[in-house]
Amino acid sequence: MPARNHKQWSAKPDLELGEWVDSRIYSDEEIFEEELDKLWKKSWIALCHESELPEPYDFRTGIIAREPVIMVRGPDNKVRAFLNVCPHRGMTIERRPSGSFAPAQPSGNPKHMTCLFHAWQFDMKGNCVDIPRQKEGYQDRLDKSSQGLRALRCEVKYGGFVWVCLDDHTEFNVETWAAGAMDCIKDSLDAEPLELIHYHKAIIDCNYKLWHDTNSEFYHDYMHYHNRITGFNDDYFQRECSAYDNGHVNVGTFTVNYEEYDVAEDRGTLSFPNLPPDNWYMVDMFPGLNFNLRGSVVRMDLMTPLSANQVMIEFRGFGLKSDSPEDRAHRIQHHNSIWGPLGRNLHEDLIGVAGQGTTMTPKSEPRRILHGRHEGAYIHDEIGMRHFYESWGKKMDRLPSDPEQKYKAGKVMGPEMPPAKGLSTFAGKGA
Amino acid sequence: MNVEEQHIKSLVRETIYAAAMFLDDQKWNDWIDQCDESFHYSVVTYSHEVRKDLTYLLMSHKEMHPYFDLLPKHNTDHSPLRRHASIYTVDVSEDGKTAEAVTSFIMTQEMIDGISAPLYSGENRLYLTGKYYDKFKIDGESVKFTERVARVYTRRFDKGTHWVF
Ligand code: FES
Ligand SMILES: [Fe+2]
Repeated sequence: MPARNHKQWSAKPDLELGEWVDSRIYSDEEIFEEELDKLWKKSWIALCHESELPEPYDFRTGIIAREPVIMVRGPDNKVRAFLNVCPHRGMTIERRPSGSFAPAQPSGNPKHMTCLFHAWQFDMKGNCVDIPRQKEGYQDRLDKSSQGLRALRCEVKYGGFVWVCLDDHTEFNVETWAAGAMDCIKDSLDAEPLELIHYHKAIIDCNYKLWHDTNSEFYHDYMHYHNRITGFNDDYFQRECSAYDNGHVNVGTFTVNYEEYDVAEDRGTLSFPNLPPDNWYMVDMFPGLNFNLRGSVVRMDLMTPLSANQVMIEFRGFGLKSDSPEDRAHRIQHHNSIWGPLGRNLHEDLIGVAGQGTTMTPKSEPRRILHGRHEGAYIHDEIGMRHFYESWGKKMDRLPSDPEQKYKAGKVMGPEMPPAKGLSTFAGKGA
Repeated sequence: MNVEEQHIKSLVRETIYAAAMFLDDQKWNDWIDQCDESFHYSVVTYSHEVRKDLTYLLMSHKEMHPYFDLLPKHNTDHSPLRRHASIYTVDVSEDGKTAEAVTSFIMTQEMIDGISAPLYSGENRLYLTGKYYDKFKIDGESVKFTERVARVYTRRFDKGTHWVF
């Protein structure tokens, strides 16, 4: 068909319900606000890793659905989470991204969280332990014992990630929320303590789901020379995508041939415990969290949606706490070669979603965004996105392909078919 | 300071500024030619977010050619990065055979791709701030980099880049 006129361009695609979405779900501010309430405030989010707060009184701050969160390690070594909000007049209690409450602060005592504004002080369990001149100002009307912080559900799980949920009444713990999606990597994550080896961030003018989509589909490996040269073989095209309750997805493993890429080195000897050498699993957790175990390194992407058309993505890398300095240096090298700020692949992925964000700004003409590839649930099958949007539709009670309509079930699974033989279909491998 | 030391210092300064020009102009081979075979390059930062020193890039001399030679096979943002460098200190060893220098630099990005090319192309943005900690081997008039540590103060990279700092 030649280039289309407006009617043809905006017509329903020749695909079944569930095989495309309307771009308004990536750009509509009202839908975005609803997502914060119905998805982000109801989900378990891994906000940081315990190695970011290794000592008692260490803290780390984060954001879920615009709510400021603080995670602190108590003298009992337990990590707890609170809203980072002072109950007095709503000041941010801790302004830094991370640090320690062990030393004294300009207006507070050691080992306390102190709001600098009027010096109300809190212990690591969130109890308010001091209100200056309480008696003089409040007489018997208000007592510090009633002025504790807002505690949040918090669990340390799956290799030491600190998971927080804003919903006190969630029916899930982290494990039931994951619904089996993390099982493929949990033995590798839990074998021995992990340690953070990388952190950087990006703020991109695109909807958070576009980044999640990119993490859930591998068809875009055509964009990555690195992945084509190290990956496109029959084993790669047999990687299976699996769907789990609550909208999670994972992608099965295969053996990556790192030496095919000139400057890469084999990662076999440093591969994670309980992982065959150079294998690679990917787990996409609803609504915007991704775990990527690639041989010797784990990467975790945390999305913080800022508006319908803006997301902060924090990139973390992990090695083993027991690493020798040499092994650690190699892991960092492995991580950075593809995933660092100068890495081969991450830059390409970010160019991709930035380009999508450009075409889907708020109020721009709705477009059809397709994910209708069926390849027997193997690697280039877009089942991951279809499953995500089915869960999204159910939780939002909106139809992803026409978000003004109520949800109705679309097509996730396709016809049974043998996996594609990708090598023959792409002449550009190594070109 | 004797005349010889003065001369070496000015050679070192010229080398640093020439490197800045080569990197700005993406003349990677010319930059590599300024480096001794023992050369090591790294990009490091201290992250206040995780309270740790982090390494963002590590490269030895032998990895440099393949790194740059493969660039045309990758998709890279078109917006050029350029640096403004000011050399703060140059210290020459007593025997005159080595030198060290500290250079403050900022990098700007001339937006071409931008986020939306029709909108942002043509503007410049501050990309990062940092300091180069360089080491040199001196042999007569020849000055070669033996080490460059680019310590950056930036952890937010948005799209990132394939071009070194
Ligand atoms: S706002 Fe925190 S002490 Fe007043
Ligand atoms: Fe990718």
